[in-house]
Amino acid sequence: MAENREHRAAIEAELDPVEYTLRKRLPHRLPRRPNDIYVNMKTDFKAQLVRCQKLLDGGARGQNACTEIYIHGLGLAINRAINIALQLQAGSFGSLQVAANTSTVELVDDLEPETDAREPLTRIRNNSAIHIRVFRVTPK
Amino acid sequence: MSNAKERKHAKKMRNQPTNVTLSSGFVPDRGEKHLNGGGKPFRAQKLDPSSGTSRQQQAKMAHYPPPRPDVNEQSSSKVMFRKKGGWKAGPEGTSQEIPKYITASTFAQARAAEISAMLKAVTQKSSNSLVFQTLPRHMRRRAMSHNVKRLPRRLQEIAQKEAEKVVHQKKEHSKNKCHKARRCHINRMLEFNRRQKKNRWLETHIWHAKRFHMVKQWGYCLGERPTVKSHRACYRAMTHRCLLQDLSYYCCLELKGKEEEILKALSPMCSIDTGLTFAAVHCLSGKRQGSLLLYRAHQYPRGMLGPVSFIWKPERTPGDTSESRQLWIWLHPTLKQDILEEIKAACQCIEPVESTTCIPDPLLAPAQEKSQAKLPDEKIGKKRKRKDDGENAKPVKKFMGDGTRAAHELRSWSSSTTGIVISDLTMEINRFRLIGPLSHAILTEALQAAAVHTEGEDTENTPHRWWTETCKNPDSVSLHHRQEAVFDLLGGITSPAEIPAGTILGLTVGDPRINLPQKRSKVLPNPEKCQDNEEVRQLRLEGVPVECAHSFIWSQAICKSVTENKMSDQVTNGVRVVGKVMKTGRFFQIYRGARVGGLKETVVHSQYKRSPSIPGDFPDCSAGILFAEEQAKNLLEKYKRRPPAKRPNYVKLGTLAPFCLPWEQLTRDWESRVRAQEELSGASSPSGGESDSRDQAPCAPTPGQAAQGSGGGGTALHDSSEPEGAMDTECPAQAGTEQVPGQDARGQLLCVLRSRASLKQLSAWCRPSPGDSRAAARRAPGRGQQELTAEARRSLLARFPRALVWVSLSLPGKGSPEPHAMICVPAQEDLLQLRRDRLYCGPQEPKHSDPFKSQIRKQKERQTREKRRRGKGYQHLASAVRCCAPSGRVRVHAVISVPHPGSPKEDALEDVLLPLCRWPGLW
Repeated sequence: MAENREHRAAIEAELDPVEYTLRKRLPHRLPRRPNDIYVNMKTDFKAQLVRCQKLLDGGARGQNACTEIYIHGLGLAINRAINIALQLQAGSFGSLQVAANTSTVELVDDLEPETDAREPLTRIRNNSAIHIRVFRVTPK
Repeated sequence: MSNAKERKHAKKMRNQPTNVTLSSGFVPDRGEKHLNGGGKPFRAQKLDPSSGTSRQQQAKMAHYPPPRPDVNEQSSSKVMFRKKGGWKAGPEGTSQEIPKYITASTFAQARAAEISAMLKAVTQKSSNSLVFQTLPRHMRRRAMSHNVKRLPRRLQEIAQKEAEKVVHQKKEHSKNKCHKARRCHINRMLEFNRRQKKNRWLETHIWHAKRFHMVKQWGYCLGERPTVKSHRACYRAMTHRCLLQDLSYYCCLELKGKEEEILKALSPMCSIDTGLTFAAVHCLSGKRQGSLLLYRAHQYPRGMLGPVSFIWKPERTPGDTSESRQLWIWLHPTLKQDILEEIKAACQCIEPVESTTCIPDPLLAPAQEKSQAKLPDEKIGKKRKRKDDGENAKPVKKFMGDGTRAAHELRSWSSSTTGIVISDLTMEINRFRLIGPLSHAILTEALQAAAVHTEGEDTENTPHRWWTETCKNPDSVSLHHRQEAVFDLLGGITSPAEIPAGTILGLTVGDPRINLPQKRSKVLPNPEKCQDNEEVRQLRLEGVPVECAHSFIWSQAICKSVTENKMSDQVTNGVRVVGKVMKTGRFFQIYRGARVGGLKETVVHSQYKRSPSIPGDFPDCSAGILFAEEQAKNLLEKYKRRPPAKRPNYVKLGTLAPFCLPWEQLTRDWESRVRAQEELSGASSPSGGESDSRDQAPCAPTPGQAAQGSGGGGTALHDSSEPEGAMDTECPAQAGTEQVPGQDARGQLLCVLRSRASLKQLSAWCRPSPGDSRAAARRAPGRGQQELTAEARRSLLARFPRALVWVSLSLPGKGSPEPHAMICVPAQEDLLQLRRDRLYCGPQEPKHSDPFKSQIRKQKERQTREKRRRGKGYQHLASAVRCCAPSGRVRVHAVISVPHPGSPKEDALEDVLLPLCRWPGLW
């Protein structure tokens, strides 16, 4: 960890805002199953909640209902992901349970040169993520 | 007698034969007249006590003396009509008009004339409809117009004549050939070549023409939009799957020569101010594709030529500068003329080079095709692929020249002083663009790296000698394997955004037609491929290594041989019976589930990308001006097609220029305003400007804007427009002198502010500083930003006296601005109002009076029946652009590209360099 920090410090030292511009890339995406939900901060909270609820409830007679869904949140959206999971649980009268996992996601930043003589650089930065499994249990 | 009655009568009489006059009740006097002229027998009537009115009697008296024989005949017929009319009219004048006797000969003569006239009228077709159309509906039968015999016999003759006439009018179809001959390949190719003489076809033309609305533009026939309803589908393809576009109409210029010579020649044409130039290290090595803005030499920031992208051929031995380098510049066809001229001038290339590529040998041999693909990955969600699998099906009929150049024109120029050779490779290389996260998956599915020839194979009779030669060299083979490995890795990357922008991968692929799937299928990302190992990570971080950018596409000889020796389609189809595949299988990606977009999708895509589209969004280059003129013409035409009552009266709405964007006039107006202000308050203005911006600063976080009819403008607009306005109002003396009209021709031209440093500074000034602590912290020290002072403003203005700036708008409320909408600088009370009421949607524009309408009304009163033409009014009005609306708000015109409801929000762009993206103008 210390080594990592040193490395980063070295990169930072060589960076000059006049010479480089920071451009963030989108996080790496994995292929997603239908029951994966990536929470973001742009979409309305209510809409995301309803989306999760619909996945759990399924169609009119409960067909296609998922027994479990995964809610992923990255960075700032972690809070919202937790909120959604808890709201789902609270509204289910005890039929839903949650299990959370945390992880670290590597994000890539591009450093675009401002002058011709410099090579473009990339920088790796870590961010926390949460993966919450919301699943149905048979109420006792 | 009223006018209307008379007109009605005239209408009734219009189709009557001349010698028959139908008299109806309303012309009693005339009728009476003739009646009485009828002859002697009528004399007795005069004595009749019950004879009509005194007027009638007068008339009788007047006409009695000259009894003319020619009137006689008419009169007798009149009698009947008159009688009828009289009877209709009532009891008045019924009996007295019946003649006592008639002369048989005159009567019969008159009837005969009448009958002949009637017959003539019947046989003569008065309307210009077909015979078939004159038949009553119940008598019509199927195919009557086709087969004359189906018509009633009495009409057959006329129909026959008509049919003959139609045949004569019809263009002489190629009757000399039967259908089969016409469909035969050679004849068809000839025909196709004839049809694309004026507007060149792309190779995918036939495929597109069946599915797209085609437009003739820029010397090409291009698909504008799919015929199916697919706007949303295309949007989804862009964001979730893959959208394919044929960009082969882009022009390619090739520069060959020494590296330093090329760089030296081109450096005056681009400015480091606007971004990286041709000399950027990563582009120069051939690793990445670069893009930049070209200007006329030494004229930056004026003399904009247009945006281009470029690729350097990767160098074999890095560091060896003496080697001859190759540079490809890709540009839009509208920009080509100007740029080519300028580059020629810059490189001093005047000597034409006799082109050797014009007459390719007609070699045709079925063999396995090798072609190269280049994959420069562009920005987020966007990818390009280049493929040179052939020009036309048969080299014999190779159609030279392209939409931007006549066939006989030169394509190559060289210079003895600089040693640079410029050649025009337009239409030599095909170029496709794949947009969307699945584009990698589709590419890896559709293309397969070429199989390496082994020694044991019989390679003697293959025309692809170059490939077998290459395969003998172990170095190249290992390079090929490396490229192949990288290409395979690409399939596992779920979004093109994950590898660096502009990456180039050279690859030799086998004929994609061989492994075309039997059925159209959809590619889904393969989860197994999505491994997160070290290699993938490396690729994501560093992009494709430099060596892998090497490709045979740079060698013209090989390209040519591949093109000529392409396996013919019949053979391909034989190898895999794919039935009716698309003509040459070039659109193999479709079979893997890509959707194809047209020109409209290109525009939409650039909107999503928030980048200006070519050429519409470049008002300072000639192509952009031309485009704007054309667009204004089309819009006006469209507007004029509606009846005046059914179209908006832009005069009343206060829209000054609904169809065009009068940048030129508005800059001039601002200039005059500035000068007027200057004269009013000489020294005190800077402080006024300061207070202005200070006032504006606290309001900045709550955006308030009154774009006409659209409910509101955005923070960005507001932020950036206000200080600029302030700057302008306090425009210093030096800038003022520079802007004196007529002093400098260049000073008259407007330019778009593209200097990155200035844009950054401007955005820093416009940030809502006190409200947002994060933003303040971000830009605090070390950024080298100047404070917003009068000095800084002055220097910026002095550098760019007549500049437009792109801003991005975000609306606080509902609605979205239309194209050609206006943006207004909000007044102080608007902002106050907005702070009080969050739902306040801006001030209302008062109704304007329409001076043209009242003029027209006056004219009408004067009985001059001039048609109302409001479209004309605008041109008058536009010449008198008033900058100040009556409400006292300063107006700024702007183009606003309408954002799609599902388009990405601007948040992602807030942190990046370009602070003012999208591009409405302001002064």
